[in-house]
Amino acid sequence: MPQEYRIKFLPSDRVFPAERGDNLLEIAMQAGVHINASCGGRGVCGKCRVRIAGGSVESSGNPLLSDDDRAMGFRLACSSSITEDAVVEIPLESQIDRSILARSATLTDANVSAADELLTRLYGREPLVARYNCELPKPDANDNISDAARVARAVSVRAGCGEPAFPLGILRELSIDLREADWSITADVAPDTCEITRVARGNRESAHYAVAVDIGTTTVTAELIDCLASSAGSMVLASSTDYNGQISYGEDVISRIMYCRKRRGLTKLHDVIMSTINALISDIVPDAKVDAADITHIVAAGNTTMMHLFYGIDPRHIMLAPYTPAATAFSPSGVRGLGFMPGLDARLYSVPGVSSYVGGDIVSGVALSGMTEKGGISLFMDIGTNGEIVLGNNEWLLCASCSAGPAFEGGGIGFGMRAAPGAIEKVRINQATLEPMILTIGRVRPLGICGSGLIDLVAELFIGGIIDRNGRFSLQKQGIRLREGPNGMEYVLCFASETGTERDITLTEIDLDNIMRTKAAVYAGCSVLLQNGGIGFTDLDSVIIAGGFGHSIDIEKAIIIGLLPQLPVDRFRFMGNASLGGARTAAVSRGFFAKTADIARSMTNIELSENAQFMNEFMAAMFLPHTDDRAFPEVIDALKAGRE
Amino acid sequence: MAFEIPKVKYTGQIREVVIGSGSKAVKVGGAGCYPFYLFEGEMPNPPRVAFEVWDSAPEEWQEWAIEPFRDVINDPVLWAKKCIESYGAEMIVLQLKSADPNGDNRPVEDVVEVVKNVAAAIDVPLLVWGTANDEKDAELLRRITEVSEGGNVAVGPVSDKNYKQIGAMAIGYKQVVIASSPIDVNLAKQLNILLTNLGVNEDKILMDPTTGGLGYGLEYTYSVMERDRMAALTQEDAKLQFPIICNSAPEVWKTRETRLTKEDDPKLGDEKRRSVLMEAVTAMTLLVAGADIVVMRHPDSVSLVKDMIGELCA
Repeated sequence: MPQEYRIKFLPSDRVFPAERGDNLLEIAMQAGVHINASCGGRGVCGKCRVRIAGGSVESSGNPLLSDDDRAMGFRLACSSSITEDAVVEIPLESQIDRSILARSATLTDANVSAADELLTRLYGREPLVARYNCELPKPDANDNISDAARVARAVSVRAGCGEPAFPLGILRELSIDLREADWSITADVAPDTCEITRVARGNRESAHYAVAVDIGTTTVTAELIDCLASSAGSMVLASSTDYNGQISYGEDVISRIMYCRKRRGLTKLHDVIMSTINALISDIVPDAKVDAADITHIVAAGNTTMMHLFYGIDPRHIMLAPYTPAATAFSPSGVRGLGFMPGLDARLYSVPGVSSYVGGDIVSGVALSGMTEKGGISLFMDIGTNGEIVLGNNEWLLCASCSAGPAFEGGGIGFGMRAAPGAIEKVRINQATLEPMILTIGRVRPLGICGSGLIDLVAELFIGGIIDRNGRFSLQKQGIRLREGPNGMEYVLCFASETGTERDITLTEIDLDNIMRTKAAVYAGCSVLLQNGGIGFTDLDSVIIAGGFGHSIDIEKAIIIGLLPQLPVDRFRFMGNASLGGARTAAVSRGFFAKTADIARSMTNIELSENAQFMNEFMAAMFLPHTDDRAFPEVIDALKAGRE
Repeated sequence: MAFEIPKVKYTGQIREVVIGSGSKAVKVGGAGCYPFYLFEGEMPNPPRVAFEVWDSAPEEWQEWAIEPFRDVINDPVLWAKKCIESYGAEMIVLQLKSADPNGDNRPVEDVVEVVKNVAAAIDVPLLVWGTANDEKDAELLRRITEVSEGGNVAVGPVSDKNYKQIGAMAIGYKQVVIASSPIDVNLAKQLNILLTNLGVNEDKILMDPTTGGLGYGLEYTYSVMERDRMAALTQEDAKLQFPIICNSAPEVWKTRETRLTKEDDPKLGDEKRRSVLMEAVTAMTLLVAGADIVVMRHPDSVSLVKDMIGELCA
């Protein structure tokens, strides 16, 4: 038997056994220790830096690791293998901190509850699964119909849906349940199929709860909803957010789909997402002092790939032309067999999607945004790893998805990171001295730059003339802050002594290229949709920005870099996690859930991946702010004023 | 009511750019209509043909391409003079092939010397075409703008990678720059914006859209040039209203169809006639798409193209 070594991870002190030759990143994954690894362990992203604090590992050299780093004991986990007992320190930048996620969730509630209120008034407040207490008359010689018919008789009066159907599982228990409960029972009824989903003993009508889950590629949020709450404001009893456990298997949907093609890959990813969701539910249920058995239904929303993985359906054809998903709508079902925690016996609903890259999360957000209630035209954008865009009003809807790239979530950017404590979120630069002023989330020592920080940084560099209109650094401004780095020119935002990572935090021209590509893809996607709708940006009534990214960005800075169109600031509206909001509203409003299906059906999807018009618009947008000056008159004026 | 032919409404005009100095200086551009649409507008300056001259004896030219220049091919100065005196060249494009880092990689100062000698020997406008290697050109073309002060020469190709170095010197020494971009309307426009932002005067810019030879992507160049001209003339896109130059000769003459002899493939017919027609058709196509200057090699094809320009402008 091969010798077993002990690998200890700091700061969690977790110890995990390993054998000679095992890959360190894989061991960390098995041990449940998170290490940033955006490239999936290919040794190209350089993010899985760890420090070997004791023992040693065998590690191939990598150009992403400098000699100094190596001397200090840093190695890339993905290209290190076990040779003996070792102590591995996970650097700060790799440690996940959940506090930011919780913070964003609170912001969301404030934004969305007004919309919830309005929509539930419009679509009624009848939960997707109804709960009725029935005091049944005891059978006697005159009234000796079957137990099931007795329950059905009582339920159909309350539910108004005709003769309800009984699943076999319930029938098998029914006779005992009725008698043990002395003919006082509570029946959960799904009105869509008029099916009894559960029979509970006693009167539990006053305890009626639902769970809304948003399954994002990066984060997953669950909320516990009181179906009997009198107002939208008091509806959410508890909420919890965590990173999607699948992150360790790839940062974007494509790498997840790739992972599914490995042996047992699909099962693994399904198990991981279920354990993330179960952990969230176990978080919120005791928080609100609710019995999990009183959760009658769950409403999930997520992008098409996430929904496939959630239901355990092979998603591989999503990434192969002509991009056909196995399904975009998933019929309501019981939760059995999906891997939900024991004790939960609810009915599962999912918000339907449109296509491979426009999923139920977008439909859910669009429904919640109210854009389909108005005659005025709105543009709905969800800027994440995929930029999804929807254009339309109460009569028509066009949607598209552009692979914007993960730049604004920290991917592909040397010092990019998600919006978590230590992420630089605001930047101002003194144009004369090039000295920056930065603010980090949580006001701690900086670890990296998140999306809003990147937008600020690029806008400031551009307005200050430190980068020119094609995103290259100006050679004239070279100094301590602007210098020649290993990958060409770079701007030093923080020197190593000021950071929490012992490395200078810089922005390189390669980073700038990636940001330009991302912003160009988003803008080009919007342009193409507008052209297909036969309208211009100025015809827009409102621009709705959804997604975790959209909480704190500075609209004006986003206009300066040409990510958002130049429109009066009051036309922009942030929605936060609109997907979750839609799922929550659907949970308490049958009418609203039906509306999401209408919306999904009526959206016309424009495929951008092989669209010549998109490529042309994309090239036009690969410039600051844009090749067409006429679209950004104020930015151009500001630039001219700056030069004079 | 009499029938009236519908006309395109033009809202823009191509800028006029002067190349060279003295009595033989040439003005290009100025068109207020699509190429040769003289029934709709004016082309005050007809398109021009520029003869190419290499800075050193070419090693891989076909026998039938060398033939007209056999006596001068080792001397760029005499070569340029022969183009002017024997074949009536109105401009000379000096191709700095020997400076190419992927070829002979001749040192900058040696090449600068050649440019100086040619510039001194001719009175028609000189256009200097570098290696298309961004770094080498940044150094080489900067020096050339310097040594040809007062000549109002055109230097290129200038890319988005070296526009700052070359552009700044061109402003200082009052030369024309050839803004070169890879067959894309938006990239062409972006480079023009960058150059004008740098301070390059708007009457000192020529655009090179990058061209392919006939059968080698010419149709791609064609549609991009067509769109350049539509944007410039009908959509008031001021950043695309610059004269276009196409360095087509090297593209045509490197194709397989200009290299095979009749013996290699009898179906293709006489090699010289075929090559001359290939070059002439490429140039004519580019002119119809909107080129203001085409760079050509063989005197026979030049003569065909000049006939066409004359007839279309008559």
